[in-house]
Amino acid sequence: MSELRKDIISGRWVIIAAERSKRPDDFRPAAEESKKAPERFCPFCEGNEDKTPPEVYAVRKKGTKANQPGWFVRVVPNKFPALTRGPAPEEKIDGRGLFRSLEGIGVHEVIIESPHHNHELSDLPLAQIKKVIKTYRQRLCKIQAEPQYKYIHIFKNKGREAGASLSHPHSQLVATPIVPKKLAEELRSCQKFYDQSKECVFCRLIKEEIRRGDRLIYQNDYFCVLTPFAPRFPFEMRVYPFRHEAWFAEIREAEILGLAEVLKQSLSRLKDVLADPAYNFYLHQGPNPNAPTEQTLKVRRSFHWHLEIIPVLTRAAGFEWGTGFYINPVSPEVAANYLRSAELK
Amino acid sequence: MKKKKKILVVEDEANLCLLYREELTKEGYEVTAVTNAQRALDLIKKGDFDLIITDIRMPAKDGVELIGEVMQIRRDIPVIINTAYESYRYDFLTWAADAYLIKSASLKELKAKIKELIG
Repeated sequence: MSELRKDIISGRWVIIAAERSKRPDDFRPAAEESKKAPERFCPFCEGNEDKTPPEVYAVRKKGTKANQPGWFVRVVPNKFPALTRGPAPEEKIDGRGLFRSLEGIGVHEVIIESPHHNHELSDLPLAQIKKVIKTYRQRLCKIQAEPQYKYIHIFKNKGREAGASLSHPHSQLVATPIVPKKLAEELRSCQKFYDQSKECVFCRLIKEEIRRGDRLIYQNDYFCVLTPFAPRFPFEMRVYPFRHEAWFAEIREAEILGLAEVLKQSLSRLKDVLADPAYNFYLHQGPNPNAPTEQTLKVRRSFHWHLEIIPVLTRAAGFEWGTGFYINPVSPEVAANYLRSAELK
Repeated sequence: MKKKKKILVVEDEANLCLLYREELTKEGYEVTAVTNAQRALDLIKKGDFDLIITDIRMPAKDGVELIGEVMQIRRDIPVIINTAYESYRYDFLTWAADAYLIKSASLKELKAKIKELIG
């Protein structure tokens, strides 16, 4: 029989459809569809720096010049952005409060994770993944200084099915003048839990998951990776830091290596078990601490930054869109078992 | 006499080809307009264009594929994407182009961008 499970953070219910239970091999055709012909021209490759806007940050070999080859990680603004930098926008309210809008200000940057086209993030050496993580931290610190940007989102789309238009390894950063609804709901729910129990819900969850162990995939001194109790999608994963902290920018030097290791572990396991699927990962963290609202001030205690990793194996359809309920054909305990037993090169 | 700058327009709608040719010729450019990307590639291999203006949604080969191939032949020619669709803006392959414009009945923005890129 299937089981309904509730995610404590989002309040969302999912259906774990045990009778539809699938093995990793059942997803292989979908995963293999993601491999398309190579691109003829890649603006992210080393040597094509003239096809991107000027870099806003780069980790470079000593003696090399900006916007020239010789970089390890490079950050450039989106060439054709949907949001553009600007001062805090005024909200326009029309139709006696029915229609609210803001000017489209924001930041959209691309973080090019390697100068080489075919080196996926999971294939990069730990030292290079560390550089990518340090770059995330640098960009977050920099953009957080501008209080008109209320939330900064970092995400990665890998593979066409996950929304990536280029296979060159990259992630993106989008800063918005509002806190996105999903985050606002997560923050409220965490605050409610904190008000009731004087404890961060994630800290409690991590302790409980480590004690149980059946959804735990991997851990080191600083992080753990697990499948959540009520995942929307098969083989969905979460990466949690053990140290309570609401903002990614506060990550410490020693933790950066720990995160590089769990990221490599998580993505390599996914690649092995599911034949290199398309995936998305994204950061959930507190709103910009330099743009404090009443809620932001409470976030320090009640929220805990984390990464969510979603392999693209199934599609949301009418039931999911219409109800917000998700049907997941693989229980997280079964998924964790497969991911734990992955053979890593 | 000053040499006219040469523009190649790639647009699958013949009436728009005519419009662009007429309007840009009035601005003092020498304009060649073709209705498919393959024909455009053949001309680029032979010709010495100063600028390419391309649509994206075209039968057989689309504008994104076209500019990818142009970069392998002549990466120094500036390219303007001129499309009716906003969605390709998020395709990083379009970064091979120098500008991304949304088609408009007024060619004011297009003319200004051409001036900015080639004078």
